[in-house]
Amino acid sequence: MSLFSIDVGSQLVDLGSALLLLTCFAIVAQRRLSACVDLFVLQSVFLALTASLVAFLTGIHHIYVAAALTIVVKAVIIPRILKQVIEHVNVKRELEMNVNVPTGLLICGALVILAFFITQPIIPLGFLLTRDSLAIALAIVLIGFFMMIARKKAVTQVIGFLVMENGLFLGATAAAYGMPLIVELGVFFDLLVGTLIIGIYSHRLQDAFDSVDTSKLTTLKE
Amino acid sequence: MSSWPLVLLVAAPVIAGLGSLVVQQRRAIEVLQCAQAGAMLAAAALVAGQIIAAGEASVGGFLQVDALSAWLDLIIGFVGSSGTLYAVGYVGEELDRAHVSLKRYSQFFCLFDMYLASMLLAVNLENIAIMWIAIEGSTLSAALLIGFDRSKAALEAGWKYVILSSVGIALALFGTILVYYSSEHILGVSNEALRWSQLYRVAEKLDPVAIKVAFIFALIGYGTKAGVAPMHTWLPDAHAEAPTPVSAMLSANMLTVAVYAILRFKAVTDRSVGPEFAGKLIVGLALLSLAVSAIFILVQRDYKRLFAYSSIEHIGIALLGFGIGGLGVFAGAWHLMNHALAKSTAFYGAGLVFLRHDHKSLDRVTGLLEQMPVAGTAILVAGVALAGLPPFGLFISEVLIVAGSYTIRPEVAYVFLALLALAFATLLYQVLRMVLGEPGEAGTALGRQCRIFTSAAVGINIVALGTIGLRVPPGLETLLASILKIFGVGMEAPR
Amino acid sequence: MMLQAITLVVAQAIVLLAISPFLVGLIRKVKARFQCRRGAGVFQPYADLAKLFRKQPVISTTTSWIFTATPYILFASTLSAGLLVPTFISQTPMNFAGNIIALVYLLALGTFFLILAGLDAGSAFGGMGSSREAIVASLTEPAMILSIFAIALTAGSTNLSTIVHKTALMEGIVTDPSPHLMALAALCIVALAETGRVPVDNPATHLELTMIHEAMVLEYSGRYLALVEWAAGLKLAVFLTLIANVFAPWGIATTLTPAAMGIGLVTYILKIAGLAMLIGTLECMFAKLRLFRVTDLLGVAFILALLGLVFFYILRG
Repeated sequence: MSLFSIDVGSQLVDLGSALLLLTCFAIVAQRRLSACVDLFVLQSVFLALTASLVAFLTGIHHIYVAAALTIVVKAVIIPRILKQVIEHVNVKRELEMNVNVPTGLLICGALVILAFFITQPIIPLGFLLTRDSLAIALAIVLIGFFMMIARKKAVTQVIGFLVMENGLFLGATAAAYGMPLIVELGVFFDLLVGTLIIGIYSHRLQDAFDSVDTSKLTTLKE
Repeated sequence: MSSWPLVLLVAAPVIAGLGSLVVQQRRAIEVLQCAQAGAMLAAAALVAGQIIAAGEASVGGFLQVDALSAWLDLIIGFVGSSGTLYAVGYVGEELDRAHVSLKRYSQFFCLFDMYLASMLLAVNLENIAIMWIAIEGSTLSAALLIGFDRSKAALEAGWKYVILSSVGIALALFGTILVYYSSEHILGVSNEALRWSQLYRVAEKLDPVAIKVAFIFALIGYGTKAGVAPMHTWLPDAHAEAPTPVSAMLSANMLTVAVYAILRFKAVTDRSVGPEFAGKLIVGLALLSLAVSAIFILVQRDYKRLFAYSSIEHIGIALLGFGIGGLGVFAGAWHLMNHALAKSTAFYGAGLVFLRHDHKSLDRVTGLLEQMPVAGTAILVAGVALAGLPPFGLFISEVLIVAGSYTIRPEVAYVFLALLALAFATLLYQVLRMVLGEPGEAGTALGRQCRIFTSAAVGINIVALGTIGLRVPPGLETLLASILKIFGVGMEAPR
Repeated sequence: MMLQAITLVVAQAIVLLAISPFLVGLIRKVKARFQCRRGAGVFQPYADLAKLFRKQPVISTTTSWIFTATPYILFASTLSAGLLVPTFISQTPMNFAGNIIALVYLLALGTFFLILAGLDAGSAFGGMGSSREAIVASLTEPAMILSIFAIALTAGSTNLSTIVHKTALMEGIVTDPSPHLMALAALCIVALAETGRVPVDNPATHLELTMIHEAMVLEYSGRYLALVEWAAGLKLAVFLTLIANVFAPWGIATTLTPAAMGIGLVTYILKIAGLAMLIGTLECMFAKLRLFRVTDLLGVAFILALLGLVFFYILRG
């Protein structure tokens, strides 16, 4: 606390959140699957840095644990699983999307505004240090959600889900100064298992349908 | 007061599940599962007994049971037990026919028990964030169970389920974070700020806007898991493609657990901003679910999907009860229990039909009462109960909800009655057509062991359904009265 | 006072004119190194320019006066734009002459004439280059204006000198980093597109299918080509200066003492040389986008700039 004034601190936290948002846009605009995974890693690293910054500025030490877990789980293990899945399903890039890139970005821009609009009345509740993070966190959650709708390939849908999780984590650490440690641990465990299961599903979809294009899943209709 | 029944309730399925994975031997697994079913049932009854006597119970501030939790314990414990018996028969038959290997057989029971355990854990936790973790756990185990057949259709259904539920549950987590965001200023940055009991206590001091936004996120999130329209699209596919014991558990237990999570958030929201806000949202979504399900029940050509849409309908009815509040809470809780019993019975019957004929087409199934007495009885009794005819509990709860909504908003009652009539007529017609008449195709006869286990499961369910259908037992009445207290008054107090 | 101002203007013009071929050479050198070539020396572009100035130009008989006038207009407009941007001193003497918006339009004027000149010769390549340049220019313009507005809003002024001066002195301008970050990202994309660098155009290629800028200037030779090339270098220098000094003005001379100006000059050269090396590195890492994908990239820039503005209003709201 003594090293930084609260003003500079909050600016740095804001900067971290903004970098997270920026990587979100990059992922939305990116067609190559492995580049999407790399960008997700970058985003997770930014997330860990922002979380550590909050931990440092507030002196709440268990956030460091969460940041370290973010690095281990989201920047190392999950990308490795995803790369394996990409290798197995042999899809390098997404040629068609449900929404083209510029339109997608415009929608994301609108989502950011929506997020600010929703959180505006409750932002003053938050801690002085991390005022704007809640809005950005919600924006990232919404963009992740959008990504799951806009993309057709199973792998990019997973990345959308993971981006949502990053947004949630930013909300939990930056806006709310971290959930209790047991909660963080549980969430990470669920996330890891969830990604594994989704990975297993992508494998089986590839084997059964010869494709991970989820728009080909049309067996079940009314 | 001793806390071991509560611990046993959560621990029994975990132990049995891990045991099944380890022993990999058919007889041993069967014994383990039967023991698990018995232990779960006994523990649920004991916990409920404790709550009826003492009001609440807890284990080390981690597990905490009040009347609502005990109600859910009873539902999941009972239906879980009969479901376990049914699964032993059903998956055993699949094993006999060499549809699954012994390894997959033991994997199935491990997942099945973990699924039950995570749901039992979810309803007995006091911490809303850890409850989220448990519910996510149930989502993940259910995802593997739905795709268990590995057919194209099952994979597709499983994929839809896992993706939609993950999104839903992520939104629910955001709602949870928002609650924490507003409560930590009063209760401190600690676990305290996530406890139900503490949240109830300080609800009036929480920021109303934050709580409203949080409730909306929780409603959409857990609503997705409860199969509330318009987030219901995963539900018919998952129910139709999952192995039938799993379909029964999805419908009877998991939807109920999701409703439970919504109710916990509603209780906080009601204390913070009054019952109007949450009530209106819930009533709106409930009516939408009713409308969607009534229409799709009409056009169904697949009997498992028929029952799946009926689940959307009944969850909608229960939510409508909770939404209007007051007497409706009583009716909603009663409806949840009866629906769980009736719907699991219906799926038990449907599963037997599927095992025999290996197709799910409604048109090709007739004369069940003659051909398969157990399945026919199950589907007939469940169908009559689900259509809301006396002497079953669903009749009472529906009448109460109509009465409750009429005193508050007559137009809600009219819409409700119209949709109910539509679903009633279609469901009853289809069920009667299935069970009566001349049997069609012969199909493959079921093994003896399968018949014993599944008949036991169906029998237990029908006996329970009939017993509580005629009148509410005094113990359950005490529980319902306590649940009513959690929610306070209705949208506009009728009295 | 007047004399001092004129001296400074001349000094700035000389710095810009002198450094721009160096930047081009530096980028080429970095790229060569990444491609495991030795490459030409960083001062090669000076020799190229000198050679071109000595050569006799050949002018097609089908061209009009626009063709011969364009290199001068382009050169003059780009240089005037450069004079509006603070380079090594934060208070440019020319700042009375125009603000950030004038800068955008001076650059657009040059582009406009270059497009006309490309069409003027009537060759297929020239026309193709011009139409492509028109697409790119029309898409970058909104993004550029918006990102510059986002910066102007946070600084409370559209005058570049004021923006840079205030930021350099840390006079409470950067209260929220988010709008700045978005604008920076947008402006970087705009800069790459406007100066014809890699994901949009490749200055090293003469392949018909892909070239944009090179196609437009295909008909030029001799001193006209020299002027066009020099102007292109100048434009690059202007953009790099803009990015360096608006977002990281630290080190720039805020007073007119010789020592401060000396430090300012050195840090300025280091900063834009660093940026040029970054561009060289990026050009080796990324492939050029297909022309129809360029709209995606510029769409990104536009959205980012828009978000910068939105952030500004919401955070201040």
